[in-house]
This record gives sequence, C-alpha cells and structure tokens, in this order.
Amino acid sequence: MNTVDTHMTQPTAASASQRGFWTRIVLVTLACAVAYATPGLLPNLFYVHIANLTLVSGIFALSLWIIYCVGQLSLGHAAFAGLGAYASALLSLRLGVPPFVSLLIAGIGTATVAALLGAVILRLRGVYFVLVTFLFGQMFTLMVLNWQSLTNGANGLISIPPITILGLSFGPRPVFFYFAFVVFLLVLLFTWALSRSTFGRAFDSIEQNIDLAESCGIDTSKYQIIAFTIGSGIAGVGGAMIAHYIRYISPDTFTFHNSVAYITMLVVGGRSLFWGAVVGAAFLTPLPEFLRDFAGLQHIIYGAIMILVLRLLPGGLISLPATLRRIGGGK
Amino acid sequence: MKKTLLCLTVSALALGTAAGAETMTVGLVAPLSGGGAAWGTAMKGALELAVEDINNAGGLKVGDTTYDIRIAAYDSHYNPNDAVTAVNRLVFEDEATFIVGPLGSAPLAALVPTTTENKKITITGGFTPIAMAEEHPYSFRAVLPTQIYANPQISYVVTELGAQKVGSLFPNDETGQTMSNDIASAYQNAGADASAVDYYERGRVDFVPLLTRLLAQGIDTFELDGSPPQTAGLLVRQLRELGFTGNIVRTGGDATDDILAVAGAEASEGLYVHMEYDGSLPSAQAYQTRYIDAYGGTMNAFSPLFYTTINMIFEGMKAAGTIDDTDAIIAEMGKLSDFDGPAGKANWMGQEIWGTMRQQYIPYAIGKVSGGKPEVIATCDLEKCE
Amino acid sequence: MDLLTLLVQSGVNGLVIGTMYALMAIGFTLVFGIMRVVNFAHGEFYMIGSFVAFITYAQWHLPFAMTLLITIAVVGIAGALIEWLLIRPLRADELTGMIATLGISVVLQNSALMYFGASPRPMPDVVSGLVRFGPVVFSWSRIFVIVAAALVIGAFWLFMQKSRTGRAMRAVAQDREAALIQGIDVERIFPFAFGMSVALAAVAGALMAPVFSVSPFVGITPMLKAFIVVILGGLGSIPGAVLGGLLLGMIESFGATLFGALVADMLQLALVIAILLVRPTGLMGRKEA
Repeated sequence: MNTVDTHMTQPTAASASQRGFWTRIVLVTLACAVAYATPGLLPNLFYVHIANLTLVSGIFALSLWIIYCVGQLSLGHAAFAGLGAYASALLSLRLGVPPFVSLLIAGIGTATVAALLGAVILRLRGVYFVLVTFLFGQMFTLMVLNWQSLTNGANGLISIPPITILGLSFGPRPVFFYFAFVVFLLVLLFTWALSRSTFGRAFDSIEQNIDLAESCGIDTSKYQIIAFTIGSGIAGVGGAMIAHYIRYISPDTFTFHNSVAYITMLVVGGRSLFWGAVVGAAFLTPLPEFLRDFAGLQHIIYGAIMILVLRLLPGGLISLPATLRRIGGGK
Repeated sequence: MKKTLLCLTVSALALGTAAGAETMTVGLVAPLSGGGAAWGTAMKGALELAVEDINNAGGLKVGDTTYDIRIAAYDSHYNPNDAVTAVNRLVFEDEATFIVGPLGSAPLAALVPTTTENKKITITGGFTPIAMAEEHPYSFRAVLPTQIYANPQISYVVTELGAQKVGSLFPNDETGQTMSNDIASAYQNAGADASAVDYYERGRVDFVPLLTRLLAQGIDTFELDGSPPQTAGLLVRQLRELGFTGNIVRTGGDATDDILAVAGAEASEGLYVHMEYDGSLPSAQAYQTRYIDAYGGTMNAFSPLFYTTINMIFEGMKAAGTIDDTDAIIAEMGKLSDFDGPAGKANWMGQEIWGTMRQQYIPYAIGKVSGGKPEVIATCDLEKCE
Repeated sequence: MDLLTLLVQSGVNGLVIGTMYALMAIGFTLVFGIMRVVNFAHGEFYMIGSFVAFITYAQWHLPFAMTLLITIAVVGIAGALIEWLLIRPLRADELTGMIATLGISVVLQNSALMYFGASPRPMPDVVSGLVRFGPVVFSWSRIFVIVAAALVIGAFWLFMQKSRTGRAMRAVAQDREAALIQGIDVERIFPFAFGMSVALAAVAGALMAPVFSVSPFVGITPMLKAFIVVILGGLGSIPGAVLGGLLLGMIESFGATLFGALVADMLQLALVIAILLVRPTGLMGRKEA
C-alpha cells in the first residue's frame, strides 16, 4: 500500500501501527473529498453514469476477490448479483418494503442462499467448483426466465423504485454516485479489514496451500463457506443497487457474461491484493466507452488489451509500478 | 487510475466536439450484431437515408437556423444493459435530439425511464405495451405489433388455407410471450386450433426435437410468428427436412428475405407472409432500389417504416420551430395525417387500445412466396384483409 | 405419429447433435487434459471452421472433402500459432490462461463480425433430399453429419492409440513429469495438441455449416454445450467426451420431443449438477491428483 511520510522520528512498533492507522484515515478522507467533488467535475451525466457503474463493478469484483482468496473461483457470481437484484426489486415492488431496507434484506437473503449452497458445493475443488458455479448460474437464468408468476419472466421487472433514505431519493445519477461510493468504500474497508484479521490470515494460508492449511488444523471448509457467504452476500447487495438504479431488471441483466467480466476484472487488475479487483473494475468498466469511436474495432481492441495486459503484466495492472521499476533498474 | 482515465476522456471529448457550429445529432440504438441485426441495420439505413436527404438539401431548416445532421449510432446487442449505457451516452454526451430505437421489449423497458425523464423521442420496434403507455409520452412506434394485425390477417389466411390445427414455436421472451397470446386468440377466433405451442431460448439453432413434438400432434399448418429472421429461416428448413408438407404462415415482422436465404426458394414456396406495407407500390420499390444501391444485399421491410417516422419527427420540428422543445414537437407531430412515405400514407392510431396516439399506422398486406419472391395477394386495413 | 416412430425419430435427431457435441467436447477436453487450460475460445474455432467451409465450398465450389481438409489445415495451424504466441507464456497459471482464451474469443468473434458482417449466410447442402423409412423421415444432410463425424472421431481415436505423437499426448495428459522423464518433448506437444483440438471444433463447424448456416455467432451455443458435455463425461477424458456428447444429444432430443424445450433445458442442468455433486470427476473422469 502507499505510505505517506508523516515526518515522525524513529517510530516504535506501536507508533508504526498507529501511523498506519492515521495514514488510512487520511487516505479515506482524501478519497471522500475527491468523491465529493467528482459528480460536479465530470463533464456530463453520462460520465456520472459510467462512474456509477464502475463503482458497482468495483463492489462485484471485491466480493469475488473475497471468494477467490480462499482458493475458489466462482463462475456464477452474476447469479448472486441477480438473486439480490430480484429479491430487493420484488420486496419493494410487491410488498412495499422501502428500497433501502429491501437492499439489506436482499443482501442477507443472498448470503443465506450462498451459505446453504456453499455447504453442498464447496466440497468440490479447483476447476470442478468453477464448473458447478457455472451451472448454478445457468440454472438461475432459466429459473428467472420461467418462474413467470414471480419474476415476470423475460419481460423483466419495470418501475423499480429508487433507493430512498429519510426522504432523500438516490435515483438521480449524481446522488446515486454518493450512495454507490459509500457502499463501495464500506466494502473496500471491510475487505481490507478482513484480509488483515485472523480470518484473512487463515484465508491466505488456504489460498497458498489448502492441504498444508488443513494439516495445520485450519478448518478450511468453514472458512470457505464463510468467504463464499460474505462474497455472495455483497454481490447480492451490488445487484440490488443496480436494480434500484436502472429501475429495470430482466434475466438478461445478470448473465454468464457478467460473471466472466468480474473474473476478468480480477485477473486484469491483479489477484494478489484486494485492490487489484478495484483497479480491474476501474480499468475495464469504462474501457468499452473509450473505444466507442473505433466503431467495429471496439471489441477487438478490448480483447487485445486484455491479452496484452496478461501477457506483459502477469501480475495484473497493480504490478505495473514494480514492473516499470524492474525495467528501469535493468537499464 | 480512475482519475487519469477521466482526464483522458475529457481531452478526448474536447477533440470530439470541435465540429461545425449548427450541428444537430440524432441517435440510434439498435441491434447491429447478433439475432436482431437484420432489423437493426434496416433501422440504421432508414436513419442514414433520411439524414442524407436533408443534408443534401442543405440541412434541416427550423425557424431561422439551418442544422446539419450528424448520426451517433450504437449497438444495443439486443441487451438491456448495453441499451441503457448507449442511451445514457446519447442523451448526455452526444445530446441527441431524438433516438431511433431501441428494438426489442427488454431494451425499451430498460431505457424508457431515462428517455422519458429527459424528454427524448424514441422510435421503437418493441411490441411491449410499455411503449404506448401514457406515462411515456415520447415513445413512438414505427412498426405495427402483432396484436393489431393478427386478427384480420389470420382470419384471411385460415379461410384461404382451411387450416385446422396450427403449430407454433415462440421465442421465450417478452416479445414471444406477448405474441403467443395475440396469435393464439386470433386463430381461435378464426376457428382453428392453435394449442400446439412451445417456447425456445433465443440463439437456439436446432429445432428438430421441438418440431418433431409439434408434428406428432398432427398439425397441418405451421405459424412462424415473430421469431427472428434467421431463426424463421431455420424453422422452415428444418420443418421441410422432417417431411412436413403443410402450409407455413408468418404472422410477424418482415423476414422474407432471410427465410428465403436460409431455407431456399423450394422450401419456402407457398409461404404466407405478413408484409409491413404493400410492396407493389412504386414508391416502396423506389425506396428499396435506393437502399440496395446504397448498402447492397437485401432490405428488411422495417426500413421504410422507420424512414417515415423519422421524417415525421423532422416535420414536427419544422412546424414547431424548435429542435429542443420536445412537447411542442410531439404536439405538431400529432397533427400530421396521411403523411406520405415510401410505404404509403402514415397516420397515428392507438387511442382505443392504449389511450394514446403514438403508433404509426401504414396499411399492410399479405404476401405469398412464389418462385422465391413474395407476391401481394391481399391488402389489409385494421378490420380485414382482401 | 405413433410412439415408436417418435422414439426412432428422436433417437436419430439426438445422434446428430450428439456427434456434433462429441466433436466439440473431444477437443475441449483434450486441451484441458494436456495443458490444463479451459479454452473459452473453443467455440470461435467452430465458427472459423464454418466460415472456411463457407468460403471454400459455397464460394470456391471445391469438393466437400477438400473443404474439410483445408479447414483442418488452416484452423490447426492457426491454433498451433495461437498456442505458441499467446497461450504458452500464460500457461503457468490456469486462471490467466483461461482469461487469455476469453480475450482471444472476443478478438476472433469481432474480427469475423467486422469482416463478414452480422447477417447469417446460408450454405448449400452437401447432400440433399429426404430418406423415408415408413413414417420416419430424415434428411440426408443430417445423416451425412453423423457419418462424417463418426469417421473423424474414429480417425482421431486411431491417431491417439497408434501414432507416436498420439501416445505421447496421452502420456503428457496422464502425468506431465513422467512424460518429461520419458524424453517426450512437452513443448512440442502443446501447440500440436492445441492445434488438433481446435481443428476438431472447426470440423464440427464445417459439418454443421450447411445445416445451421454461418454467422460470427454460431460458436457460442456449441461452446456452452461442450462445457456441459465435458462436465458430464469427466474433465480430460476423451471417451467421456464422446459418451457425454452422445448422452447430452439424446437427453436434449428426447427431453425436448417428449416434454418441451424448457423442461429439457432444466433437466439437462439438474442432471449435470447432480452428477458433479455425486461424482465430481464425471462419468469417466479420473480422480485429480
């Protein structure tokens, strides 16, 4: 992480951690200040819209990272986002639950489903887990499509109310930006705290070598279920945010392609640290829009950039500074 | 990271907008690739031809200002997420005065809150009733939905063919679910049994098992409904491969060229098709020639319909003397009647059905494919075909 | 139509899609078995195969056998090059390799879209006409697919069993280290295996091109199906891919004919999930080390 030189003399161990704490406070405050000004600085609402989508993508990528760091890769992550989206939308549309409350319930509900499912499917390892989550995603899409009495089938759900807290509507793009930013920041801080806690250390050792971790007496399946539950629950909240922001969802909103996109963010950004997910989301979400002017070439360039990043920066974009330093040092 | 990207955008934007002074942008969001591309490219062609007319004539003269028209076209991939992003870009970044598209009901449902809020006219081809709902006063529709023509057309076809048991496959989405109700009740009204029905996921290419299931129910007529053009072609082909010799009917958006291309003239012989307008009109044929000269290949019949609506909007702008006051423009558009377009005279309809008058109506026709070409066998109005 | 007719008809239908799925899945599973790479671009090679067939057969009017040979050569060499240029450097990590193939898929599909346009192109049949056995009707074009696919699968099997390279590939799939010790040049095997894998997909594409017509998007569905087949048959198992392909074809055909499309789709997924949970290695897969 970046460190800010605070002109302290000879820090002891305690004051070093104290300093780290203050550094983070400063960083968070700085981020908040930048975020506060952002919607006003962007040239028009389209940019705000893209910024909003980027923040939510960041939430998805971070939540996937939590699962990834216990050594499991979910190829059905979009299904949990979709589950949260439908749950929150239906709660607010059919039962009149206020959208912010429904968002929280959706998150908890998605986490519960993930916990139950995880208990069954987390027995599978590696590529088999990837495959079963892929199938779960397909199953979810089919279910949403065909359970018409509940989900309105392919028609999707329209007129989903925007999130409102104490009379303040987060429907307009610039206002939603603040909501998305706060949730994003909370998820970010939570992920950071998690990676620092005993949980995080257990996660780490599981990711590095699951068999070794097991033989050290770490209950790997417990940690995997916890990570899967938390990650999927956060994805559910992210999905619900999209539902209340776009105010429309359909089975096409969260598909296999979204799951793949989240993984791509993780890999392109860099998997070794949690903020790689953030960098990946910030890089890839607006990228197609930058390439619009190339018309037909847009997607080709997108794919080529993906391959190039992997080829030149196997550690993802977050390894760019180190790679540059290495090249510079080599000269 | 994010900040650098944003800075990049800002500079890119500054470069992008340094064009002539009096330029007006018209947006397009339609499927330009994938399943609905035949329709989407027809819409894009319509917009380009309409704009070409105006720019060649020196621009659009509204009040004292003359506008050169620029097009911003984005692919919706027939997907609601992409349609929403595209429409945000059109509304806020390109500041499009109006938007041609989207096609498909889900993309429309997804973006109509944005266009309504920002008072942007859209011209859709989506069959959802949302398009005509009172709360979306800027949503217009160029294409007649099945609901309007199912009854007159099917009653004509059933009498003509003596159809008794009709089988059909619908795409499993909003469009398919809406159509299946309209079409089934139209067959019922005409005295035929249309209970042999199944749904398929968009993108499916092998229909043999599903068709086998329908054939086992003893159908004598197959209804292609509004399946995407390429899919309709595959259905005709695979029906014939299963030895089906009965009649095939298309009560849905124009797909004749694609059906002929995919299934071949032999398999398509005798096909009854819905024609969006009377294709034997000289103006329609002239438009088609112009389109094919410009783009090659074939022309989907949606094109002249969209061309007509686009021109009605330009007409509305001229009459209202503004390109920004959408309410004034739609008020003027509403006054247009018997508007001459390549496909025939256009009027607004829909009061009794949706309580609004934003559905474009152009008399349509029924065609029968013979020798690889659809021939008009009946022209229709809202009541009947003859 | 009586029940027996319906069953026979469905059986043949199932065989057609089943052999196509098998062709797709063999290549997919081969690459996974040998290289540990999940190739998301597999469907795009199916698409390229169908375009090569379209150009050589429908436009240049070459004999179809020649078309198939050209398809195999062009796509095989392209595949080997792609492996050498793009996948080799990223193979160290399963996940990175997988994402790289995703990028390749995006590039290939959109290049085809730019070059050929979106609208599907119909292609003339290799053999036309219908065969009737009493009330049962098949088209020759579909029978042709079954026979041709069976021949290709047979040739592939012989190659893997009898040839030195084929045996080397099997050895690498079983245990890379042991193969290395045996003196097998693994670095040469990889591009070869990848080229062969995607050439099989291309053959499937070429065979199906006259039946389903050709467009830049034709590879998407076969890719997803190959995914499911491979889970069903067991990752890395070639007999499993053949068995899984045929089984999935039959399930689809009988399911859709007897119960309708949606039930068939649900049934498929439920079955595969159940198999994964009870027997994660699929029907014929080996336990992973």
